Amino acid sequence: MSTIPSPTVAPSRPEVVTDGIPEASPRWFARAASGDHKVVGQLYVGAALSFLVFAITELVLMRVQLIVPESTIISPEIFDQLLSTFGPTAVLLFGIPLALGLISYVVPLQIGARGTALPHLGALGFWLYLLGGVTLYASFLYEPSAAGANPLPPLSDVVFSPTNGVDAWVMGVGMVALGFTLFAINMLATLHTLRAPGMAWRRLPLFSWSAAVSSWVLLILGPVMLAACAMLFIDRNFSGVFFDPGEGGSPILWQHLSSVFFTGAYTVLLLFAFGTISEILPTFSGKPSFSHRAIAGSMIAVGVLGPLAWMQNMYSAPLPIGWAIFAMAAAVALLIPVGLLMFNWLATLWGGALRLRAPLLFALGSISTVGFGLAGELGYSVIPVGWLLDNTTAAQADTYYVIVGAGIFGGFAALYYWFPKLTGRRMSEGLASTSFWALLVGVHLMAIPMALAGLDGQPIDIYKYYDTGSLDTYNLIASIGGFVLAIGVLTTLVNAARSVRHGVEAGADPWGGSTLEWFALSPPPPHNFDLVPDVRGAEPLRDIRDSVRSR
Amino acid sequence: MPKRLVLIPAALAALALLVMPAGALAAPFSPEEGHSPNADDSIAAYWVMFLIGGVAIVAINAALIAAVVRFRARRGREPARTRAVRRIQPRVGIALGLVAAAVFVIGVVSTTRVRDVEPSGPDGLSAASTRTAQLGLTAPTGGEKPLEVLVSGQQWVWRYEYPDGTFSYYEMVVPVDTTVMVTLDSTDVVHRWSVPALGGRFDAVPGRDNHTWFKADEEGTYEGQASTFSGPGYATMRARVRVVSVAEYEAWLEQQADDIDEAQSAVQERVDELAGAGAAQAVDEAEVTEP
Repeated sequence: MSTIPSPTVAPSRPEVVTDGIPEASPRWFARAASGDHKVVGQLYVGAALSFLVFAITELVLMRVQLIVPESTIISPEIFDQLLSTFGPTAVLLFGIPLALGLISYVVPLQIGARGTALPHLGALGFWLYLLGGVTLYASFLYEPSAAGANPLPPLSDVVFSPTNGVDAWVMGVGMVALGFTLFAINMLATLHTLRAPGMAWRRLPLFSWSAAVSSWVLLILGPVMLAACAMLFIDRNFSGVFFDPGEGGSPILWQHLSSVFFTGAYTVLLLFAFGTISEILPTFSGKPSFSHRAIAGSMIAVGVLGPLAWMQNMYSAPLPIGWAIFAMAAAVALLIPVGLLMFNWLATLWGGALRLRAPLLFALGSISTVGFGLAGELGYSVIPVGWLLDNTTAAQADTYYVIVGAGIFGGFAALYYWFPKLTGRRMSEGLASTSFWALLVGVHLMAIPMALAGLDGQPIDIYKYYDTGSLDTYNLIASIGGFVLAIGVLTTLVNAARSVRHGVEAGADPWGGSTLEWFALSPPPPHNFDLVPDVRGAEPLRDIRDSVRSR
Repeated sequence: MPKRLVLIPAALAALALLVMPAGALAAPFSPEEGHSPNADDSIAAYWVMFLIGGVAIVAINAALIAAVVRFRARRGREPARTRAVRRIQPRVGIALGLVAAAVFVIGVVSTTRVRDVEPSGPDGLSAASTRTAQLGLTAPTGGEKPLEVLVSGQQWVWRYEYPDGTFSYYEMVVPVDTTVMVTLDSTDVVHRWSVPALGGRFDAVPGRDNHTWFKADEEGTYEGQASTFSGPGYATMRARVRVVSVAEYEAWLEQQADDIDEAQSAVQERVDELAGAGAAQAVDEAEVTEP
């Protein structure tokens, strides 16, 4: 007994020394080779925001071209190249990866896990995505694809697009789709096996829930796009005839495959925004979610019905009318879960004490803007309305509302909300409100005149329009709107870049959240938690706070 | 920032409410005027959906603004920790389901109406076609047979072929008050046919026929433009339908046929001439090269 040293006497030197041990590899290599979900998440967010700069630049250049009728500022070839790159950049290189980055960072923390189930598969998912993006942009070194935002065969076949641009497009998008699939495998394995004790599915935070639903969507639909890209690559390079009408192939097949995937991508973008909103509203209204179960169920319904409505943008194709009616049924049925989500969000706000900080501001912007977009989508789901207006700038205005509402407002809401967790610092509220108002004014100033131009017959993707009716006025205003939107985007990017080093220190729980990511330090240590708490409800951190208070 | 946040949307909403009764707000949102029964039916469906979508947008934004105005955090406000009462979700769900069902029914009915091909009217062309209709659309029974036009897309012009084999580019000429059954195909890439005043947009896909129809109610020219990206010349791929009286149509068709014959014989002559010259030259060369 007497040999045990007294606990009050400190040992002469610590048992384990970590200080001063030279690192095995340089820091950048350690980061690149890391499978830690937080490192991978940060890489995703950084890459996604970088591609956002490209996307916004392309949008601004295309809007510059359309300021005046029959403009010759940008040559038709370059306009078509911008167009063909902008589509995949906005959705596949910015929107979804920003979602995946925040999911990757936040979900393991929210469910009380110390990491992900398949960390290196997760990291591989990121590197495939980045390689895909680099492959797509590397084609600017020779000649990028000019076969349209969705390169429909036969136009994208080697006869009509003989340069290697389309090959780069197909390889890039294929790798991105494969990366998304690997991400989904890792995330689903994590969600199914690594939840903290007591974290039953019914208690899963709604953001993690939306991540589960969107991971299933990506797991099922990612391989579809990979297959489509492989088929087009074979058609182009190895005399395949998958899409060649002269040899028994079908150009419609590509439309089905790409449409399924892009509709799924659209759904994932929406689910990410829905999950973010469902997390932010309770935190900033001081109330619990009006109904956890109804929101969770609605998200599943959106995840199932959204992709099922893929033929909603193929009404004009030579298909039997029954198929179009099936697509219309799925698209119209989406009204129920989306309506329930809107109802539950408003009921969560109602009676609360709303703290109008940046995350809530952007979440409200997301609800409003997505509301505009989805109300319009409901209209275009009705077949004759689709016949009347599909592929006009009116339908495109709607797509912009959804992508800006979900990807930019929703993505920025998530960024403002979890930035303190990622960096330990808050972003500036002043710049946030400038950015918010610029985005809100910009999106309407751009989309409403686009809708009016579309109603007057302006088709999408044209490098010039003729001076008929009021098209010149509409396009001028839409271009101004596009520039204001770009200012809004850049303001938040500048805000993020500055706040990484110069933001106000945030602490572990700056917003008074009720989910477990706020239980960890900001930024969390590599093992996330020293102690994983038992979960006894849907608001575990609130339970912990209450029990500490009543002690 | 805080005051502005409330005032700007409130002012916008008030402004919208003032303007709305005048209907002036909706006027610019009107699609191009229809000149064919299927276009009219599509536009009717558009207005129904415009109304439903508009109500949804106003409701969502009004509720958001009201929530922000009424429930901002201020001293003394304690958030109510209310959750859903039992059965409220099914009730809201059923209400939304009824709206969705109504929209679906509107969709099916309007689709059926748009696809319902009307027979030619009294001012229209009679016995226009001798070909049997082999179309996805059901040709009208009774009355006269419709005029069938084959519209084929090619980079970057539309070609129209009439029942007698006469053809034209860019401008389609058809008689007024006559049902025109359009068969769409493409010789190269996917194009999309669209003349808004005469009904919807439909794809011209190589290897697979697509169908639409129209019956112009008034003489005049109707402009359109291809609306699926088809390569560098896509923005210039416009279309025009000139609707004329039956007599004018028949005269035009005859003239067009004559012009085509004339042009073809001119081409043939030139080919023969060149062939003759070529043969002569070949003979010359043969003589020269012969040792």
